[in-house]
Amino acid sequence: MKRKILKLFSTIIAVMVLLSLLIGCKPATPTTSVPQYPVHSPETRFKIATTTSLYDTGLWYYLEPMFEKYADVEMDIIYAGTGIALEYGKRGDVDAVVVHDPVAETQFIADGYGINQRYFAYNFFLIAGPPADPAGIKGLTATEAFKKIYEAGMSNPDTVKFISRGDNSGTHSKEKLIWSKAGYNYADIEKSGKWYVEAGQGMGPTLMQANQQQAYVLADISTFLAYSRNNNLTIVSLVEQDPIFLNVYDAIAVNPDTVKVQHLDIANKFINWLISPEIQNVIGTYGKAEYGRSLFFPLSDGSCNIEGCPSPDKYSTQVP
Amino acid sequence: MTAIWQGFLKAIELIVSLNHEVLEITVRTLAISISSTVIAGLICLPLGSLIHFNNFRGKRTVINLIQTFYSVPTVAVGLIVFLLFSRSGPLGFFELLFTPQVMVIGQVILISPIMLGLVIAALKGVDRAAYETAIATGASEFQATTTVIREARYSIYSAMIMGFGRAISEVGLALMVGGNIRGYTRVMTTAISLETSKGDIVLSIALGIILISIALIINFSLSRLQQRY
Amino acid sequence: MVLVETSGLRHEYNGRPVLIDVHLKINSGEVFALIGPTGAGKTTLLRLLDLLDTPTSGSIYFAGAEVTRSHHQRTEIRRRMSFVQQRPIVFSLSVYDNVACGLKWRKQEREEVHRKVNDALELVNLAQYRERNAKNLSGGETQRVAIARALVTEPELLFLDEPTANLDPVSTAKVEEVLAHVIRERKATIVMATHNMSQGQRIADRIGVLMGGKILQIGSPNDIFCLPTNTEVAEFVGVENILRGTIIDKDDNLVTIQVNSNTLQAISDYDIGEAVYALIRPEDITFTLAKDRTSARNVFKGRITKISLVGPLVRIEVDCGFPLLGVITKRSAEELDLKVGGRIRASSKATAVHVIKRWP
Repeated sequence: MKRKILKLFSTIIAVMVLLSLLIGCKPATPTTSVPQYPVHSPETRFKIATTTSLYDTGLWYYLEPMFEKYADVEMDIIYAGTGIALEYGKRGDVDAVVVHDPVAETQFIADGYGINQRYFAYNFFLIAGPPADPAGIKGLTATEAFKKIYEAGMSNPDTVKFISRGDNSGTHSKEKLIWSKAGYNYADIEKSGKWYVEAGQGMGPTLMQANQQQAYVLADISTFLAYSRNNNLTIVSLVEQDPIFLNVYDAIAVNPDTVKVQHLDIANKFINWLISPEIQNVIGTYGKAEYGRSLFFPLSDGSCNIEGCPSPDKYSTQVP
Repeated sequence: MTAIWQGFLKAIELIVSLNHEVLEITVRTLAISISSTVIAGLICLPLGSLIHFNNFRGKRTVINLIQTFYSVPTVAVGLIVFLLFSRSGPLGFFELLFTPQVMVIGQVILISPIMLGLVIAALKGVDRAAYETAIATGASEFQATTTVIREARYSIYSAMIMGFGRAISEVGLALMVGGNIRGYTRVMTTAISLETSKGDIVLSIALGIILISIALIINFSLSRLQQRY
Repeated sequence: MVLVETSGLRHEYNGRPVLIDVHLKINSGEVFALIGPTGAGKTTLLRLLDLLDTPTSGSIYFAGAEVTRSHHQRTEIRRRMSFVQQRPIVFSLSVYDNVACGLKWRKQEREEVHRKVNDALELVNLAQYRERNAKNLSGGETQRVAIARALVTEPELLFLDEPTANLDPVSTAKVEEVLAHVIRERKATIVMATHNMSQGQRIADRIGVLMGGKILQIGSPNDIFCLPTNTEVAEFVGVENILRGTIIDKDDNLVTIQVNSNTLQAISDYDIGEAVYALIRPEDITFTLAKDRTSARNVFKGRITKISLVGPLVRIEVDCGFPLLGVITKRSAEELDLKVGGRIRASSKATAVHVIKRWP
């Protein structure tokens, strides 16, 4: 008798499990006890790969439910550095990418993988480091600071360290740009010594590591602020004012003519939504309450006017 | 030190208050890992019986090969499954990448060697005469086979539990093919690794406590079953 | 009616011949004992008859029809037979479930199964162990479960491979009681392998002697034990006096055999000049002291060479020009006051001497 009950019980479990797979959702608890994640028709899943700096600031947590409601789709956000994000785009594993690496993006579009690129926000990078500032970079320009960090690091690799993203992200590309502008060959920098550490992680985790090791790091201001506050970072911002620190975010739809994707319509909707006045306003005010200043600047108000800012047609015209 | 202790207390609070995110991640993890275990079991039990009860050329080689893959690195399997199911891969038209389903598929691939190997070992542990006795008592070959399987049932349960343990505790595969998407493919292991690296200790600790508890329950059941001998 | 018949059955194991040219007929309803030393091939033969193995060559006929290699046919026929192994295996189930499995495999109704299993358990006296885990039983209890399991399917043919070989005397008695009951009820034809000769003698209708893979003799217990047809069988069944001789005289069916420098008389149809063996069971030798008279035709004088005790009996070896072995009770031995080296007369009736041909 006991055996029969056990058999029955296990058959029921097995059937339940198999059914749940067929349905495609998780059994038991629905995901909807918190109003922010209503489940729409689970068939339409719109996937984007996003740069980690946007993710780590929590901006997506905020925007995701809004877009899901607006477009009536399930949005899946995959956390990836720009390099990986573009790779996902080329493979067709995501429908759109949100990145901030001008060189890589241009190539991506030129190769035919991306279309309908629109810029929607910008902020700046900064160089953070230990308050004691052993390399003495406070207040210098970006290239000067990097020079000093290199020299100090080469002579005192135990006290002076630099944590690089090391993951082909937008931030990593910016870092490489600064090194080359400072007159260095990046390949040399990479193997120059143990003062130069490649984290291979997203922006947030890299900041944590820099904090751990009391090292210098290039970060975008938004992630830095968010982490400073939430995780009690002890590293501080040392170098901020420099045009080269301009960091512009854009969204690109994956081109269905080159890659096997199906949701171009939703991707376009998404891009237009990002540059719509309402959302631009949301982006512009995000973080103001908590951090005293907003973490991102909207492009639509035309406030971006230094070298490297995109032209208006790239941020104000809707995608057809 | 106090920071860790504070974190620990907050984590307990999350668990006890049935925090939605903790609950959701836990349920999903169990659903995915139990599904993989069940499916792998449905494949490995008949397959293991087939291999055990038939003598064929290269049987020893096959068994050795299976044992070689017992501890194949999860990221290796993850990479292969990713390349297979990526939209531009051979199985891309299924559109399964970054879904819980592909995670189940990947875990099935991951745990099958160990389940298969242990099922075969379990069957081997049954006296050959048991099969013979069944046949002599009038069983058909199929009935005699199921008799031997029943004789080995405790070892087979252990094999299932082992498989489940490996499935639920792996990170690499879940991360690579699942994408760790919040609310969709985030499981305990990927959540812990993400949250820890981002500095959100509280959620990590909460999930860690649950994961370790599950592991303890697994081990406890395993030893109880083995005592049944 | 012949239930099972073999013809030219031959079986090899790893190239080594285990059964050689076995011709056998088992009649429906009889109890057939297969006796022989360990390793003679008894188990192999039983397994072939139960269709568990296929013979290297030769055929088996069941109820007149030849058994083919058809898997289906073999399973069908096998389901009409049952086999109790020497060391039976029970499954990790309750005693009830163990006994019931044969019926369940034959897809019988639950009520039927229930009734039959309970009857079988009653028969072997294990009803009170019904729910016990069968792995926790003693050797004798396990054997009885195996017998119940074998009987519950109402087989036409029941094979028993040394059923009491591994049991203590008490368990042996219990099992033999069950077997006796089964035989009394004549429910099945029984083929039993045993190296316990007295068991074979007691229970069987016919006995087959298997030695070295060959059937050396088939006959009634009396035939086997008192009238062995060759010396191997004779030695195996305990006819310890095997005397080489030649027939030198014949009067009707009373022959005189020359053995060394002695003669002895026996009943036989062989002719003068025939080379023979004279077989005398030790129990048929009587001992008298020199002066006593005896009615036996054959009397030999000799000296006692050895006296040994075998349980309640005394074995006496005498040298009468040829060695002679006799077995008497302790009391008789005491009455005779025997000593090693002492003179004695050993005698046997002519009718107790069994003559078989000798091939020089």
